[in-house]
Amino acid sequence: MEYLASTILLIGIFVILAASYNLIIGYGGLNTVAHPIFFALGAYTSGLLGAATGLPAVVCVLAGVAVAMAASFVLAITTLRISGDYLLIASLGFQLGLLQLVNNVEFTGGPAGLSSIPDTFAGPGRGAIYVVICTAAAALVVWAIWRTMNGPFGRAVRAMRDDELACAALGRSLIGMKIRIFALGCGAAGLAGGIYAYYFQYISPEQFQVAQSAEILTMVVLGGIGTTLGPIVGALVLVVLPQAINFLHLPNGLVGPAQGIIFTALVILFLFLRPGGLVGTAGAGAAH
Amino acid sequence: MIEPAILLQILWTGIAMSSYFVLLTVAFALTLKVEKLWNFAQAGLMGVAFFAMFYAMNALALPTWAGIAIGLGATIAAAVALEVWAIGVLRARNSGGLTFFIFTLVFSQFAAYALTILFGTEPETIYPSVMSPVRILGGVAVSDWDLLAVATTLALMAALWAFLRFTRDGQFMIAVSDNAKLAEIYGISAKRAYVISGVIAAIFLTAGIFLYGTRAGVTPDVPLVLVLTAVIGALLGGIGRIFAAGVAAVSLGLLQSFSILFIPSKWQALLLYGVLFGALILFPRGLPAWRIWRLRRRLGPATPPAAPEPLTEAGE
Repeated sequence: MEYLASTILLIGIFVILAASYNLIIGYGGLNTVAHPIFFALGAYTSGLLGAATGLPAVVCVLAGVAVAMAASFVLAITTLRISGDYLLIASLGFQLGLLQLVNNVEFTGGPAGLSSIPDTFAGPGRGAIYVVICTAAAALVVWAIWRTMNGPFGRAVRAMRDDELACAALGRSLIGMKIRIFALGCGAAGLAGGIYAYYFQYISPEQFQVAQSAEILTMVVLGGIGTTLGPIVGALVLVVLPQAINFLHLPNGLVGPAQGIIFTALVILFLFLRPGGLVGTAGAGAAH
Repeated sequence: MIEPAILLQILWTGIAMSSYFVLLTVAFALTLKVEKLWNFAQAGLMGVAFFAMFYAMNALALPTWAGIAIGLGATIAAAVALEVWAIGVLRARNSGGLTFFIFTLVFSQFAAYALTILFGTEPETIYPSVMSPVRILGGVAVSDWDLLAVATTLALMAALWAFLRFTRDGQFMIAVSDNAKLAEIYGISAKRAYVISGVIAAIFLTAGIFLYGTRAGVTPDVPLVLVLTAVIGALLGGIGRIFAAGVAAVSLGLLQSFSILFIPSKWQALLLYGVLFGALILFPRGLPAWRIWRLRRRLGPATPPAAPEPLTEAGE
């Protein structure tokens, strides 16, 4: 039962991550690979605050969201002069640098990780409670993104993605839009981090490597980049499918790489055979 | 006060250790210049090169020359296959930068996972020992590995310079890097230029990872870290400036070597990433002093400064 709860919770967390990443990269056209670090900031802030102060979990998770949004502001402000490939590489430096910082300072637990995160819900119903919370959070994030992207702001964001110059000529503030997209997307990643930290009660820098960016990107591409349903389908498929590996009774050392091969082979296949993803239109994946 | 002999030793060791950074950076900068491609798949190619050589020399007990030949052959074959069946296909579809980024990064990860299944996660070296004979020259310890690394790097850099300057294919590569469509109008095959740049990059990658693998342990994850250093070097040198990227790689190597005097080793990686982030934010097209020097050289002293000319994408 706990295994099932963990799997559903992971689906929920990856739906949040994939949907928010899709907002930034798919709708906004802002090529970044720093999403895992905002996930990490949410997780570490919630975990550290919970462990040190004993504040209610909701407050700690919201603090994690705030820190992730503040960090996204730093990335957005410092990279306003650059876009496209340059933004991608700058975000790579941002991700790697901050993670190195988390890895090296003592109060985060360093490479050994943070394990003193308090247990909010004890008892046999713990998994079910977290599943409900996480599913509600995922639904809220997906609904918020759908709502935002189907309003005037969303149309402006898509216009900015398709032609920055034309969008600016129409009087839209590109800087303001970029900052808001980053804040919304990265704040959602921070929310996922907070839930993750409280459920698993253990976090370490290894869980937030840049490779995770490719994992989330895989979900977005496989589902359909720039669509509302795509990240949900992508997260569902790519969390559930590798679980099948667990039932093959492979040696422990092979499970991770075998799951990785499934992930990467799928994304390569989809890039070439169905670039629009499972629910996207043909060619949407190659839009940028 | 630090003794001059110690500073000299750090300087020499820094230069020797930066040799593989130079080779890997030049490989990255070459494909970035000719193909306009941030080719993270080079990490996967490095993995193929290293483990092919490792397997040939250790499991098959072949001599060094045969191991290198097998590694080189496998890497060139993989590079050409990538260009023809993957990158070329995406290019023909007019795919955007994000698609290329996803593909090249994911390819490298695929290679790393496959190599992990085949070879495990234990660090491996080409030879059983990473030690090499040392001699003292003017108070500085110089190892055989240092000499091999510096000589290999200089020889390959000179060969690349001669190839680009004196051969038709080299000049065609420069033309394609300047303007691929215009070059094709003049009868130059851009596809051929892309394949040749891929082959040259494969040679540099094989040499670079051979030097690295004779000095330190390699796991399937290591090439992705190495390619990031190459990205930093290519950016600092300026997009389209292959040899400047090589100089930037030496500078980064020296920065890391001398930083041990001031900061603990665990912060050295942060220093590199900080340089990457800072360089992109402050000088997204390379260091400005070099751009001014290039501008002056192009325009000459008597030319009016009005002509706005692209500074970055032109031939080296």
